[in-house]
Amino acid sequence: MSVLLEVVDVVKTYTVGTVAVEALRGVNLSVEPGEMVAVMGPSGCGKSSLMHVLGAMTRPTSGRVLIDGVNVAEMGDGARTAFRRDKVGFVFQKFNLLPTLTARANVELARRIHGSHRDPEADERVEQVLDLLRIRDLMDRRPVELSGGEQQRVAIARAVVKHPSLILADEPTGNLDSKNSEIVLNMFRELNRRMAQTIIIVTHNPDLASRVDRVIEMMDGRIVRDGRRAPAEIAESARRAGQ
Amino acid sequence: MNREIIVSNFARRPVRTGVSIVAVATEVALILLIVGLVVGINTETGERTAGVGADIMFQPPGASVFLGLNSAVMPVEVGDLLAGVDGVEAVAPIVTQFNTQGGFDVVYGIEPQSFDAVSGGFRFIEGRMFQSPEEIVIDDLYAEAKGLGVGDGLVLLNHSFTVAGVVDNGKGARLYLDLAAAQEMSGNPGNVSLFFVRLDDADAVYAMQETLEERFLTYHAVPMRDLVSIMANTSLPALDAFLTLVVAVAVTIGALVIFLSMYTTISERTREIGILRSMGASKGFVVALVLQETVWLCLAGVVLGLAASFAIVAAVPSFFPTLQLMITGEWIVRAGLLAVASGLVGAVYPSIRAAGQDPVEALAYE
Ligand SMILES: Nc1ncnc2c1ncn2[C@@H]1O[C@H](COP(=O)(O)OP(=O)(O)OP(=O)(O)O)[C@@H](O)[C@H]1O
Ligand SMILES: [Mg+2]
Repeated sequence: MSVLLEVVDVVKTYTVGTVAVEALRGVNLSVEPGEMVAVMGPSGCGKSSLMHVLGAMTRPTSGRVLIDGVNVAEMGDGARTAFRRDKVGFVFQKFNLLPTLTARANVELARRIHGSHRDPEADERVEQVLDLLRIRDLMDRRPVELSGGEQQRVAIARAVVKHPSLILADEPTGNLDSKNSEIVLNMFRELNRRMAQTIIIVTHNPDLASRVDRVIEMMDGRIVRDGRRAPAEIAESARRAGQ
Repeated sequence: MNREIIVSNFARRPVRTGVSIVAVATEVALILLIVGLVVGINTETGERTAGVGADIMFQPPGASVFLGLNSAVMPVEVGDLLAGVDGVEAVAPIVTQFNTQGGFDVVYGIEPQSFDAVSGGFRFIEGRMFQSPEEIVIDDLYAEAKGLGVGDGLVLLNHSFTVAGVVDNGKGARLYLDLAAAQEMSGNPGNVSLFFVRLDDADAVYAMQETLEERFLTYHAVPMRDLVSIMANTSLPALDAFLTLVVAVAVTIGALVIFLSMYTTISERTREIGILRSMGASKGFVVALVLQETVWLCLAGVVLGLAASFAIVAAVPSFFPTLQLMITGEWIVRAGLLAVASGLVGAVYPSIRAAGQDPVEALAYE
C-alpha cells in the first residue's frame, strides 16, 4: 500500500527563556491511507507536539514530514496554512467550536474556508457525515446549547466535511464522560471504516486503544512502541500507558 | 458567512459595539456640525449681504468678502468719485462691525438715506429708523433671539443703545446704527469699510465691475449676484486651518476608539482566531474579517452620526434663531469616508496582530 504520511527524524525543540525543551527527539513514523492510529503516552511526552507538526500548525526544528509526498516541514506559513485547509482536519480536546455561531454555521465556515461550500458532491458528503454523527437535529443550536459530547460530534463534522487526507484528534474524549467518550470513539471508528478516513487520535483511553488498528506509544519525545497487534495485547499495553 | 461571524460578535459584545458606534457617530456629527456651522454662516451672510439689493459691493484693497473679518478701510470721499461714474445711480457708504457678544452678528453703520436709495428701504415691523447715535435698528431674528423690542436697551461693542426699530431680516446686517457713530466706535472717523452701489442698468453689472476696477486699481468691485457663490467657495485661511484641525481631531479620536475596540476584541478572541487558523484560514482571511467588522461598525456609526446631526440641525433654530447650520451632500460623503477611513486606520494594527499570532499559541490561549 502507498504511504500517506512519512515522518523522518523529526525533532521539535521549544526554547523557554534560555532553556531548550526537547518535545520531540527524533520521531520516525509512517501511516498508510485509511489507517486509524492511536497515540498514547504519559503527559508531556510530546503527543500534542507531534500532532501540531503533523498538522502543519508548526514547523519541526529538524526532520522531514511528508504528507501526500510534500514536505510540510519546509513550508512557510502561507503554504502550511493552505495545506491545513486542504488536507487536515483537527479535533481538539476542548471542542473549539466558535461560540457565537450555530453548529451549522460552524460546519459551514469550515467549508467556506476550504472552498467546497458550493460543491454539490460535498453537500452530499455533509449529509452523510451529519447522519453518521447523528447531529442532524442539533445543527441550529449554538455550542452552549449542546452537551460536551454533542459539541465534539459537531467539531468532528467540521473536521470531516472537507474530506481531509488526515484527521488529527488530540485527546478528543479528554473532556467527556465515559458514555460520551464511547459514542465519540465509535463515531471515529465509523468514519474510518465507512469513509476510509485516515485518523490519528491521541488518547489516554485504554478502551480506544483496544479498538484501533495500531497503537503508537511515546515516551520522552520518542516513539517507543509501534504496531498492529492482537486486540488483547493492545488492551494490555493501553492499560499500562493509561495508568 | 463572514457577516454571520461579524454580526454574532457584535451581539455577543453589545456594549463594546454600542460604544464604538457612538464614538464613530460623534466623529461624524462633530465634523458635520462644525463644517455646517461655517458653511451656514458663510452662506447665510452671503445671502443676507446679497439681500441688500445693491448691484455691486465696492471694497478697498486687501478686503475680504467676509465683511466681519475686515479691517481695511477707505476714505468716505471715494463714494463721491463712485457716484460720479456714468451708470451709477446710488452709492451707500457702510462701516461694518462684527459683534461677537452672544453670537456672530454683523453690524452696519449706515446713512439711512443713501442706504434706502441703494436697497429700496427697510420694512419696519415695529418702530422707526434711528435718529441719533444712541439709537439702533435690529432685525426680527435678532429681536426674537435676544427678546428685544422698541425702547429696550442694548449694549454693543461697549456702547449703550436704545432699540428704535425692528426690521425684516435679510438686508446685510442684523443691526444697523448711525454711520458716524460706527466710525467713532471703530476709531476710524472719515473712513468706511465698503460702498454698496446701485446701477442704472442692473444687467450692466459686469461691464461696470470692469470699469470700476480699472478706474480704482487694486480696489474690488464684487457683483452682488455672485456673492453667495463667491462666499461659499472662498476659503478663509484661518477658518480653513480651524476646520482642518477640528476634522483632524475628530478623525484621530475615531481612529483611536476603533483601535482600542478592535485591539481588545481580538485579544478576547485570540482562541477563535487560533481555531480559524487551524482550519486553514489565511492571515489575509483574519485581517479581512477584522477590517470588515470595522467597516460595519463605522457604517453604523455614520448612519447614527448623520441622524444625530440632522436632528441637531432641526433643533437649532428653536434655541438659536440667528444660527444657521448647513449640512451639504458633499460633506456628508466626506465625513462618511473619513469615518470609515479612520476606523480602518485604527483597525490595521489590531488586524495584523490578530493574523500574525502563532496558531498553536493562539489555540492554547485561555
Ligand atoms: N509552546 C511550548 N513552549 C515550551 N514548551 C512546550 C510548548 N509546548 C509544549 N512544550 C513542552 O514540550 C513537552 C511536550 O509537550 P506536549 O504538549 O507535546 O505533551 P503531551 O504529550 O501532549 O502532554 P499531555 O498529555 O499533557 O497533553 C512538554 O515538556 C511541554 O512542557
Ligand atoms: Mg497534549
